[in-house]
Amino acid sequence: MDNYGYGSSYGGGGGGGGGFMAGETNSPAGGKSADGNNTTLRPITIKQALDATLPYPEADYQIDGAGVGSICFVGQVRNVSTQSTNITYRIDDGTGEIEVKQWVDSATADSMDTDDAKAAAGKNQVVNNGYAKVFGKLKTFGNKRFVGSHCVRPVTNINELHYHMLEVVAVHLFFTRGPVGGTGGTAGGAGGADATMGGVDDYSASKGLPAMSPVARRVYNLLKTEPQSNEGLHAQLIAAKLSLPMPDVARAGDELLTAGVIFSTVDEQTWAILEY
Amino acid sequence: MSLQTPRVLPAHLHAFHATPANPHTPTTVRLLGTVTALRGDTATITCGTNGDVTLLLKPDSHLQMGRLVEVVGKVVDVEGGLGVRVLASFDWGSPADCDYKIYEHVVNATHRFKGVFYEAVE
Repeated sequence: MDNYGYGSSYGGGGGGGGGFMAGETNSPAGGKSADGNNTTLRPITIKQALDATLPYPEADYQIDGAGVGSICFVGQVRNVSTQSTNITYRIDDGTGEIEVKQWVDSATADSMDTDDAKAAAGKNQVVNNGYAKVFGKLKTFGNKRFVGSHCVRPVTNINELHYHMLEVVAVHLFFTRGPVGGTGGTAGGAGGADATMGGVDDYSASKGLPAMSPVARRVYNLLKTEPQSNEGLHAQLIAAKLSLPMPDVARAGDELLTAGVIFSTVDEQTWAILEY
Repeated sequence: MSLQTPRVLPAHLHAFHATPANPHTPTTVRLLGTVTALRGDTATITCGTNGDVTLLLKPDSHLQMGRLVEVVGKVVDVEGGLGVRVLASFDWGSPADCDYKIYEHVVNATHRFKGVFYEAVE
């Protein structure tokens, strides 16, 4: 029961790891991916969908400080209402309730008339109070949040539901605490806050890193492992080595600077690890 | 305010029991278990190796012996401890198709990372 890689290494969050959650570092310029470039599919709970923040209008929604493209969730269908252009479902997954709109594709609607399609549709029917898995995108209409979906299909095996829940937690932890096994990934939840204040020598032991975003962790790891002069590495070089866009690296740098684990050397864009 | 129904095991029922001393918000929970006894308006479900829970049924809850059911209900006092007044139930079919260990992990994760699943008091 207790051997979650995360649970044990993070000390169950006692004292709540100070430092930075990825979310705090997002300046408006950071979330500028509303152009549909974000093609990720993130498993979430409905509560996360309802709690998702919008950094500014027209932006992508953010959950745990990470922009979300498409989402998927599993829940019970509480209501189905079929209109001429769309089917609206109310889905409840035990963490909240949300409306899901699935637009009716006129092409598929027509082919429903054939017997084959009918048989297939009958098998694939989502029923009231049954479980369903929904794939779609978070949308807002007026003040109401809903999911614009392209696929709603029934779930018949309970293990799929449970798998989804665990995946949700795994992804949540990825975004809040970084990848499994990353350097310094064992930053004790309790150690983080104190270390930022005065326990600098903890860093050289590489165990007191505060919570940071995955990008920041990658930048930190590169600075730690890459051969360099005492001037450290320039942000552009880091961006090239990690094949990351410059703004992301700049943001990660800010995060690390604020956390006091790196310092700028010859200019503001050149950083070295702070350790003795 | 949307209805939140955290998934629990029998051992967690006390934490979701509304008493003056414990005014927890969600008192409605979800339980998963196999129906092992039916007695008219009450029933018993067995939650893997985690013990039994007494259910107070609704007239229209149709539980079947030996089936795996997911129950949404309110935690209430029953003689001999805590039980659940059923609000809704869902039949998941044969218990053989469910790995109950995974459910235990789900419940564990739910409460360890509450923020993802329900609004916790304080």
